This record gives sequence, structure tokens and C-alpha cells, in this order.
Amino acid sequence: MFGIEDPQIIIGYALAIGLGLFCLAYGYRNWNEGGEQDG
Amino acid sequence: MVDALTLGAFTALYVAVLFLLTYMAYRRTRKGEDFLLAGRKVHPAIIGLSYGSTFISTSAIVGFGGVAAQLGMGIIWLTVLCIGVGVLIAFIVYGKRTRRIGQRMGAVTLPDLLSKRYNSNFLQYGTSVIILASMPLYSSAVLIGGSRFIETTLGIDYYTALFGFALITALYVVFGGILAVMYTDAFQGGIMVFGMVAILVITYMVLGGVTTAHHDLTDMASLVPSGLASAGMNGWTAMPDLGSPIWFTLITTIVMGVGIGVLAQPQLVVRYMTAKDDRSLNRAIPIGGLFILLSTGVAFTVGALTNVYFFRNNGVIATSMVSGGNIDQIIPLYINTAMPDVVVILFMLTLLAAAMSTLSALFHSMGSAAGHDLWTHLGCSRLMPSRVRRERNGSCSLRANQAGTAVMIVVSVGLAFLMPGSIIARATAMFMGLSAAAFLPLFTLAIFSERPSLLAAKLSLVVGAGSWFLWTAFVHVKESEVLGISRALFGTDAVLGSPWTVVDPLVIALPASALALLLGLFLERRAAPA
Repeated sequence: MFGIEDPQIIIGYALAIGLGLFCLAYGYRNWNEGGEQDG
Repeated sequence: MVDALTLGAFTALYVAVLFLLTYMAYRRTRKGEDFLLAGRKVHPAIIGLSYGSTFISTSAIVGFGGVAAQLGMGIIWLTVLCIGVGVLIAFIVYGKRTRRIGQRMGAVTLPDLLSKRYNSNFLQYGTSVIILASMPLYSSAVLIGGSRFIETTLGIDYYTALFGFALITALYVVFGGILAVMYTDAFQGGIMVFGMVAILVITYMVLGGVTTAHHDLTDMASLVPSGLASAGMNGWTAMPDLGSPIWFTLITTIVMGVGIGVLAQPQLVVRYMTAKDDRSLNRAIPIGGLFILLSTGVAFTVGALTNVYFFRNNGVIATSMVSGGNIDQIIPLYINTAMPDVVVILFMLTLLAAAMSTLSALFHSMGSAAGHDLWTHLGCSRLMPSRVRRERNGSCSLRANQAGTAVMIVVSVGLAFLMPGSIIARATAMFMGLSAAAFLPLFTLAIFSERPSLLAAKLSLVVGAGSWFLWTAFVHVKESEVLGISRALFGTDAVLGSPWTVVDPLVIALPASALALLLGLFLERRAAPA
């Protein structure tokens, strides 16, 4: 895939990009959460 | 080659913005707690960018980019851990609890938090001493990396660059405290993102597109130097053989050492405590996550692809292009030869930004450890004669923190004169490994247990730091042969044989520290009345 044959490298890239996108989704979903807790 | 006048003008503009931000921070820094935590109300975007740019230094871009050029794309697993552990677990699991507990107890530093949580001066002094003993190693490596880069790019004498670099960073940390550090971090983080994206796009354009570039790199597997091939390397787009010496170095020292070590680094932990509430941390996560992806992901990918560029243009792989096999020179060389002038300037500012943002955070953490955690607390302790002992009133002195920061900056500059070459990535991994082994188990217990055990914490700190040092000095050959303690005592660089000599100290010391913690919990439970 994209010129890379070793699945361990492909999985590494997929996870890195996937986790980056997860961070975006987490921030979007919890944008207004946690404002009142514990001051 | 970019002319020196243009480079100098952009550098001057960059420094002018830093001092403007420092002045803004200076006006808001009036007391010790401002210096350490900026009133616990920093904007989420600044927290995210500051966390990322502190975490990612020249070590990640130049040092680990050079490792990628040498060992290939397997280092992308470090990006996975940096985002998964260093951002998601760090902010969601550790960050929120740390912020709440820190705010409730009035803690301002990691040693302060541990001391108050366990009600123990031993932990305050013990953790401070470990920070003061180990962090200068990392700060000096960052200082060397930044100064070497200034030397080669601006043509300034190395020692002038070193002093100038340290002085500019020192001024804004000492006068502006954490707020100046975080404001400038955010500015520097923005430059880094812009610079790294430009480098990635241009690299793929120069190499004929994503698939062509990767395909050509895959086809270069037969060019792997025989020494690396026999140690397990299979090419630049393939992981090394499982259990081979290169696999151990890549996975245990670089990926795990840095990826796990990030959780308990004092300069990063303090950033959670600058947040006003959990919402600020939630909002910082996407910024931090994307920042890490764009900075490390780009550096590691471009680092490996430099082999294609140099092979097409010079007929040799990247490591053959640099003198003495110094992999720290590969990324700067690639940028200077392959990129247009405007990107060279942008990259120079990116590297300056990366080095300064990390360096300022380290100076600040060492200064708070020396000024607040040691000096201020020792001044009130019974260890001091009653004539000079001060009242313990819970406040922290702005002047003590500034003085502590200045002293530790001098120590870092002094150490930079003594450190050997090709040290950037290794010194980074060493500091992070020690942080994880010494602090992570007891920090975890402190924020997750309702009544954390002091005995368990003490055992974990001593066993974690002790076993890390023993493994570093007597087994892990890359460090033990430099230290020379093992050779002086036993006549050999490592007292154990292969494969132990390439197993990172973290892999031994972190489990040992965690086991010591569990033993302490068990002993305390047995001793407690039924």
C-alpha cells in the first residue's frame, strides 16, 4: 500500500493517523464538557 | 545557500516576537505562583501547543529524524505511542486527575504534588534531587543541538551560538516565568507545524509523489549496510527482525523509552496544572494530538525518505552523506540541499522554535525544583539552624524561583561543554527513561489511590532510580562504555552478555519500580491493624 509492503509499518502509519483523528473527534465531542467540575 | 543577511533578519524578527511575548507575560507575573502556574487559567490552545512543542524538541526532529534515516520507518511506532500515550492517556487519564488534585492541594510542581499527596518531605527532596541530577543532561543535549544548528546555518561560532541561545531563553524564562514559556511555546509551536507540513509536501513533490517515493525506498533494501543488515535491519520501509539488536534499540530505547517516559515528565505534568478546568484539557487534546502527528510523523517519514533523495542525487544512502556517520547532521543537510530558500529559513526557525520551547520548559522545571522544591522548603525545615529558619507559610517566592532557574541554566551551559557528539537522541531517551522508572508508578498511585501508601512510594522511587542507574552504568553498553564505571570496577563495559546489552534500562527499571510499589502496598497492608 502506497509503496510500503511491510504490514507492521502500514499498521503503524494507520494507527498514528487514526489516533490523530481520534484526538480531533474527542475534542469535538467533549468541547463543552468538564467546565463545572471542581472549579 | 540562503544568504546570511536574510537569515539574520528573520532570526532577529523571531527573537523580537519572543521578547514581546515575554514582556506581556512579565507584566502578569507578580508572585511565585504566577511564575510556576500562571494563575491556573491558561487558554486551552496555548496548553495544547505548549505541551506539544515542549514534548517535541530538536531531539525529535533532528535526532530521531536522523534515526529514521538510519533505521527506517519503523520509528513511526514512536508517533503512535506519543499520541496514544503522550496525548490521549496523558490528558484524559492522568491530566484531569492531576489538575484536580493539584488545585485542591495547592500543588505547583510535580515534587510539590507528590510531597503533599503523600505528606512526605522525603519525596519532595528525593524527586527534586533526581530532577536536578538528570534534567541538565536533557537540557544540555537540546542546547548542543540548537547551537550546532545555529553554527552551521548562520555561520556563527559554536560557543557564541551556545551562549546566545542560552541567554535569550534564560531571559524570557527568568523574567516571564511559565506564562512567557507557554506564550512563546504556542508561537513556536505554530512555526513548527507550518514548517513541518511544508517540508513533507515539498519532499513528496521532489521525490515524485507518495507512492513513487515509498516504492523507491522499498527497492533500496539491498543497500542497507552489512553491519545493520546482520543486526536485523530489513530495509527502510520494513520493521527489523523481532528480537534482533536493532529491534531492541528501536522498540525498547526509542519507542518505549520516549513513548512511555512522557507520562511522568515534570515539565509536562505541570502543564495539566495550568488548566482552569477539565474542559480546558478536553479542548487542548485535538491541538496536542495533531501537533504531535504533524511534527514527529513528518520528521520520521522525511528522515527515512532522505535516503531516496541522496541516492538519486549522490548515489549513496543518507548515512554516507554525513561525516563520521553523525546521524544528527542528516536532516539539516537534507533541508539545506533539497529545499527552496524560503523553506530553509522556515526550517531554521522551526528548529530554533523546537529547541527553545523545550529548553525553556526544562529551565523552568529545573528552576522550580531548585528554587521552590528545595530552597524554599529547606529554608523552612528543621534541617536548618533555628537562627536562619523561615516561617512555613505555604507561599512560594518569586525571587527564589528566578534564582533557581538562573543557577540551573548556568549548570546546563557548563554541562554542554562536556557532553560528547551524536548525543541528542540518546540523552533524550535516557532522561525520559529515568523519569518513567523513578516517577511513573508513584505518580500513578498518587493520583489514583484514595489513601496512597508512602512506604510503597519510597520503595518505588528508590528501586526505580537505582535499578535504572545500575542497568545504565553496568549493562546497557551504549551508556556504560561512555560512563566507564563498569570498566573501572570489573574490567568490562557490560557485566551481562547479549541481548541484555541492548535492552534499554527502562525495560528493567520500570517493572522493578512497579514491583517495588506493589511490595510496599503488600507490606503496609500486612502491617496495618485488622
